[in-house]
Amino acid sequence: MTVGLVVVSHSHPLARAAVALAAEMASAPVTIEIAAGMDESTFGTDAVAIAAAMTAADSGDGVVVLMDLGSAVLSAELALELLDAAARSRVVLCAGPLVEGLVAATVAAAAGAGRSEVAEEARAGLAGKVAQVGGSAPSGGTSSAPSPGAATPPGGTSSAPTFSPGVAVPSASAGPPTPADLDAASTVSGAPPGREVTVTVADPHGLHARPAARLVTEVRRRDVRVTLRNATTGSAWVPASSLSAVATLGALQGHHLSVRASGPAADAVTARIVALVSSPDVPPSPAAASGASSGIAIGPAVRWRPADVSPVSRAGHSAGSFAGDSAGSLAADSAGSLAKDPAGSLAGDLVSDAAAEEDRLAEALAAVREEIGRFRSPIFDAHLLLLDDLAGLTQDRIASGAAAPPAWTAAVDQLAARFEALSYPYLRGRAADVRALGDQVLRELLGLPAAGPAGSGVLVAPDLTPAQAAALDPARITGVVLAGGSPTSHAAILLKARGIPAVTGAGPAVLSIPDGTLVALDGTGEVAVDPPAALLASFRARAEAAAARNAQSLMRASAPARTRSGTPITVAANIGSLADARAAAANGADEAGLVRTEFLFLDRDTAPTVDDQAAAYRSIAEALGGRRITLRTLDAGSDKPLPYLPAPSEANPALGLRGLRHSLAHPDLLTTQLLAMARVARETPISVMFPMVTTVGELLAARHLLDKALAGSEPPGLRVGMMVEVPAAALHTAEFAPHVDFFSIGTNDLTQYTLATERGNPALAALSHGLHPAVLDLITTVCTNAQSKPVAVCGELAADEQAAPKLIAAGVRELSVAPAFVPLVKEIVRAT
Amino acid sequence: MDTAALSAWVREFARLVRENRELLTDLDAAIGDGDHGLNMDRGLTAVTAALDAHPPDSPSALFKLAGMTLISKVGGASGPLYGTAFLRMAAAADTVVDAPGFAKVLRAGLDGVAARGKATPGDKTMLDALSPAVDALDDALTAGEPFAGALAAAVQAAEEGREATIPLVARKGRASYLGERSAGHADPGATSVTLLLTAAAATLTGP
Repeated sequence: MTVGLVVVSHSHPLARAAVALAAEMASAPVTIEIAAGMDESTFGTDAVAIAAAMTAADSGDGVVVLMDLGSAVLSAELALELLDAAARSRVVLCAGPLVEGLVAATVAAAAGAGRSEVAEEARAGLAGKVAQVGGSAPSGGTSSAPSPGAATPPGGTSSAPTFSPGVAVPSASAGPPTPADLDAASTVSGAPPGREVTVTVADPHGLHARPAARLVTEVRRRDVRVTLRNATTGSAWVPASSLSAVATLGALQGHHLSVRASGPAADAVTARIVALVSSPDVPPSPAAASGASSGIAIGPAVRWRPADVSPVSRAGHSAGSFAGDSAGSLAADSAGSLAKDPAGSLAGDLVSDAAAEEDRLAEALAAVREEIGRFRSPIFDAHLLLLDDLAGLTQDRIASGAAAPPAWTAAVDQLAARFEALSYPYLRGRAADVRALGDQVLRELLGLPAAGPAGSGVLVAPDLTPAQAAALDPARITGVVLAGGSPTSHAAILLKARGIPAVTGAGPAVLSIPDGTLVALDGTGEVAVDPPAALLASFRARAEAAAARNAQSLMRASAPARTRSGTPITVAANIGSLADARAAAANGADEAGLVRTEFLFLDRDTAPTVDDQAAAYRSIAEALGGRRITLRTLDAGSDKPLPYLPAPSEANPALGLRGLRHSLAHPDLLTTQLLAMARVARETPISVMFPMVTTVGELLAARHLLDKALAGSEPPGLRVGMMVEVPAAALHTAEFAPHVDFFSIGTNDLTQYTLATERGNPALAALSHGLHPAVLDLITTVCTNAQSKPVAVCGELAADEQAAPKLIAAGVRELSVAPAFVPLVKEIVRAT
Repeated sequence: MDTAALSAWVREFARLVRENRELLTDLDAAIGDGDHGLNMDRGLTAVTAALDAHPPDSPSALFKLAGMTLISKVGGASGPLYGTAFLRMAAAADTVVDAPGFAKVLRAGLDGVAARGKATPGDKTMLDALSPAVDALDDALTAGEPFAGALAAAVQAAEEGREATIPLVARKGRASYLGERSAGHADPGATSVTLLLTAAAATLTGP
């Protein structure tokens, strides 16, 4: 039984946020369809869309519809008339409150309740709030519901008891519980017979929504009837199968909760409830910690902080101006005029152009939205909504003459103060979110420098963008622990390239590690917070062993690497900049096995010319002392669009117009690049490599353009090859072989495409981590059918201690890795 | 009246709403959420476009197209209310609509609005104009007045009904949240429904 839910609201963001909130509670997937807003920003409801949502949400078990007000109700009623009679009979329009009702309905639906029971739960959704803040529950909403304990026979399991807030009368006893109180509890009328147990609530937030939802789910799943009572406050007995009812208990940390259960599963469920209530709630973590970048790091925890703008913010708040002493130095670079003005003058005097200030605000907000959007988590959806609220408050102030920064600061203060005034600590925490967001936008408004780690040690962060990972200073940041992320994300690859040990997917709990706490991590996936002496000694020993090995491998780095059986293996470097090329040379790379030419194309307004590109390729070759460099043609796509070549947005960029597909769609761009490569190929050994080849036809089309660029005279040192990332190309290696001089396998993409596993998705980190046997089979296929053309691997697996020997055994003869790993990989080869 | 004549009525209603968009919005801003004019204009503009794109071949098809477009495009409460009215009118319309037939169609629309909104006369809603207008139309036709005269009587009744909403305290819709403060302004829905009748009087003649 899975009842679907439909949310009808005037506002799409409101509905989306309500669904995100409710989805946190679901113990099993629940279909929740949204029919809200005329579009993202226009309020309104659409009966046709609602009817479609009802149909989409109905898997045959029916649908419960929650609505906000006015036209939402009218349109939902009209939508019913648009359905056929059978479908209409399965839809229940529920008068419950939108947010509380949706949360209660989601839990009930996830637990397999029928549609009328789900609707009843939603209608009673206000009960918890009414019990908490007083007032009376709405009358009539539950008029058809039986009173608890009255209509349902004790031990009955045919349907879970419904709950009516109107009859939840607190018992007479109050104050701290005594044994007598607890005994008395069992005699309160309405309590069903059965075993009674009392348990103390352990979670600091009390029996809040998530553990309450888990408790209700446990009860609903089993053949059992359970009632609960807060013995500390002397509440009434309420059915544990109703989230709305459990919410009325107001069970805070330290409260004694009485549990009465009857029915076949009574003992088992009671034990589960005791376990749930007596241990703190642990938020679900997306995946187990994964090693992302090998090595050992030991150091104090440091956090990623935006440039510290809080003094600016405080000055704006306390002095009613924006130009305090502490603000002066911070704002001086980019907003000197702000800092020079005497305190008090800024809010009104400086601003003559409200439209310009609006634009300035819009730009800053867009930048921050983009930054937040990269995290792709429901948590950050809430942040986006906060931004909208703050923007509204700020615009009002700009309209009345304030400059954007003080207007923004005042809006942040206003909203944060609103949260701080709340009595519940959990909600007061939202004030910190508001202020953090406020600082982030203010930093953009003032053009202050980019954020960075606040100190030296082991960086602990939710996740890192590639840009943030690339900017870390290995001399200051000895290791990285990420709550989210995946070992194959671009950020992890960058950390690996820079030799910074890292663990990803360590779970949100690491974010509460206090600053300065000693953290030890092993890049294989182990993290120890404030480790005991013995464990710390073990980390130190591992670190020393690794250092010794590094030192030894570095000494032998420039010597060629052969396996123990004498097979020579080329160990090359993957390069994305001139600095990488220098690092590759210093680390003894035999070649550049992959030059990612994208760096020449990004962050500019026009495409690089033949001269620009030839100069860059030449300097890379020079940095490597004339060793062979493998230039990959531009690997662009809609996920990394070029400003001068706007790409249409694609639903799935990884399967879209990218790599060679993109280049063949823009032959002029490719020809320019091939002309530059051809020119340098006459001076130094060059390999040209085409990425993301799927068919022989694509390869021939690219070779044809190369032939034209060469104008009939092929330089002797030029080789032409292709990347194997698409499983189709791997399976048909033999058909490509006559047309190439070499193959290079991009294991990151080949893994992603073979396992249907997005590489940046932390929930799938376990799947995309390491060398999957199916991927190894494809690599073996390439080596077997390559017709003696050399096969290289230029993905992350080439530097993996477990994977590299298997790759060599499969027939791979070149491993191309991040420059920092060249010495280690040579050691791996020598040990194979 | 054939499909073309009735289409002209709907188009004239769209034009009048466009012309009075600011008035409707201002009225709604005084007692509601200030979007009635914008919403109705958006919906009726879509209706006009739909009529251009898919010219209906019967009065019933015309009203159905208008109703379905309004429920999807208006956004506010007037969407399902006007939409229901037109959908009920579609069900009540014969192939060719004569004067009594038009009265029957309009009454079906009235019944639809009443059922959807669950309002009664005096709640300060569009019913306060539509209900006396439909009654006046019936009465005039029964008294043997020509169709044009009957329509004029209906418009007059609608206008009087609209004026009568000014002192009323709203008991339905967003305006009801304002309580006593909703008195002193004409109801925007009663105002737009008066435009619907005005458009009929301007475009429709006898059979």
